[in-house]
This record gives sequence, C-alpha cells and structure tokens, in this order.
Amino acid sequence: MHVPDGILPLGMTLGGWAVAAGLTAVCLNRIAAQPDPREGLPRASMMTAAFFAASLIHIPVPPSSVHLILSGLMGAMLGWYAVPAILIGLALQAVMFGHGGLTTLGVNGVILGLPALGAFALTRGLGHVTHPVAAALVSFATGAGAVALAVTLFAMVLLAGLPAHLDAGAERAAIMALALAHLPLACAEGLIVAAVLGFLRRTNPEMIGAR
Amino acid sequence: MLSTIVKPLIVALLLAGPAAAHGAFVDVEKLDAVGIQARYDTGAAMAGAQVAVFAPDNPAQPWLTGMTDADGRFVFAPDDRPGRWAVQVRQAGHGAIGYLEIGADGVASAFIAPATAAGLTWTQRALMIASVLWGCIGTALYFRPTRRIRQA
Repeated sequence: MHVPDGILPLGMTLGGWAVAAGLTAVCLNRIAAQPDPREGLPRASMMTAAFFAASLIHIPVPPSSVHLILSGLMGAMLGWYAVPAILIGLALQAVMFGHGGLTTLGVNGVILGLPALGAFALTRGLGHVTHPVAAALVSFATGAGAVALAVTLFAMVLLAGLPAHLDAGAERAAIMALALAHLPLACAEGLIVAAVLGFLRRTNPEMIGAR
Repeated sequence: MLSTIVKPLIVALLLAGPAAAHGAFVDVEKLDAVGIQARYDTGAAMAGAQVAVFAPDNPAQPWLTGMTDADGRFVFAPDDRPGRWAVQVRQAGHGAIGYLEIGADGVASAFIAPATAAGLTWTQRALMIASVLWGCIGTALYFRPTRRIRQA
C-alpha cells in the first residue's frame, strides 16, 4: 500500500513532502527534548529493519494480496521515533525494491506516519490499563486501527488526485476492493500488536510506553 | 398536402446522413503494434487495470486510454511520431510507467520498464534484505548504551 511515482499530481506530492517534513520536524523536536535522545535509536533501528522487511511479506487475500504495514506496532514501540523510522524504511523500500517512490515518499510517510502517531497516542493514553484482557483489547485496537486509518488516508489521497482521463468509477471500485482486502490485515496486525505488547508486558515492561 | 409529407421526409433524410446508407465497409491494414503486460511484483497479472498512452509531444493528455485484459495485457499501435512514448498502467493507486522509444525511422526500440522487485531473483532479494538488516543491526549496535562496557 505504497503510492508509486507518477500516480499523484505534482501539487499533492509536494504537499505530501511538506506535511511529512512538518511531522518529522515535530517528532525530531520531541526526541531532542528527551533526556537522552540516543537512547531510543537502537530500538528505532531494529524496528526500521522489521518495518522494511515486513512490507515484503505478502498475505494472499483473494483476489489480490496485501502486505504487512506495521504502523501500529511502530507507533506503540517507538513513539516519536516512529515517523523518522518509517520514512527511512519507506526510502529503502522505494530505492531497493521499487515499492512506492521517491517523489511520493512524503505522501507515503504521512499515510503511514499519522497512524503510527495515533497508535502512540492510544498506547500512551491508555497505558494505565492493567487488566490483561482490557490491555490486549487496547493493543488489538492500536494495531487494527492503525491499518484502518492508513487505508482510509491512502484511499482519500488517491480519490483526491484522480486525473480527469481516468475512468473514475472503475478506479473507485478498485480502491474499494483494495480497502476491503485490508480488513483481514487489520485483524492480523491487531493480533501482532496484542501479542508483542502482551509478551513485553510480561517480560520487559519498560520497553513499552514509547516516549 | 403533398408538400406537407415530402418536406419532412427530405429533412429527415438529410439529417439521417450516413446512417441512411445501407452498405458498410471495413478496411483492414497491417500495423506495427506494441504489446505490454502489466504485473504486480508478486507476479500476479494486473487484470482490468487502466492504461493511458502518452505521445511524445503531449505528456499531459493521453493519446489513448484503455484497459488491460484478464492477463494484464494491452496492445496498441502508436503512430509514426518519433520520440519517447509513455505508457502508464494503474489500478487502485498501484501502477507503473514504462517508456517506448520510437526512432525517426518509425521503428520502436525496447520498452523501458521501471526497475521493480519483479525483475529480481530470490537470491538478489535475500542479499538486499540482508544488507539492509545488517545496516540496521550495525546502527543499533553503534548507538547501544555503553554503560555495560564501561562497568566491565
């Protein structure tokens, strides 16, 4: 679910870069304000590797296939580091495998970065939930909600940038089919986030609660 | 009385134009066509994807639009305008642009498709993934807290 080069009009790609730059600036400021900004870098680096590799794992959802996104997990684990980590992961995916594109890196960064920040907010806001079942439900909602938000943003961006020569009805139907194909993925990512955070709560609780 | 019947008939015949003819002809000529096949990087065909062909002198407005078949194939016959023709295939926000060079002699050179993972072998992919993972691990090791080392 990466917007490739040549799909969106120039104004939208530039706007995407501007919004992504703003998001990154905010995140870097927050990171710089931490007592030790370098402390989160090893975890951010490892999560970037997971994010990069995850997009190459395709899950068949007939008639098409989807790939893992992991925005929710990135946000829950990395907090403010998530947006720069996602941008680096997206750049590597674009350069090495042609997933997405360099002109659309900003747009893709916003599409995946905003859900990550939403997941971060949800994890931090509901961090006081200690009941295991409630905590698992919150974690599931974090992962699944991030995918749902990313798909919604993806569809909104595409619909806003449809060129006049395109058969709008056919493209809308294709976008709707793609969005529906991501419903199982949302459930899968919800389970992944619930499993990872549940495991860390038992073994290494200080790793949760990204700052 | 006669004119009230004849006049509308004449007007109707004039307005009918070519449809008034009963014969139809189909001219057939052999053309040099270009065929493309669009696939996702998983190898699956882009069936029913929308295609836009842009002529060299007008990259803003498509010269031809169409749709791929069930196998992701699309065939078109460019005219003799030399230069770089662009073919865009897209479906649900995914897609790619390829280019076709047509020389001054009207002969098309090879189709230039953008680099994607579809052209990579599994060995190449594994090596690229491993290199990125190793880069991330190296970064993590470089920035890891050095407290333990100092204590040791």
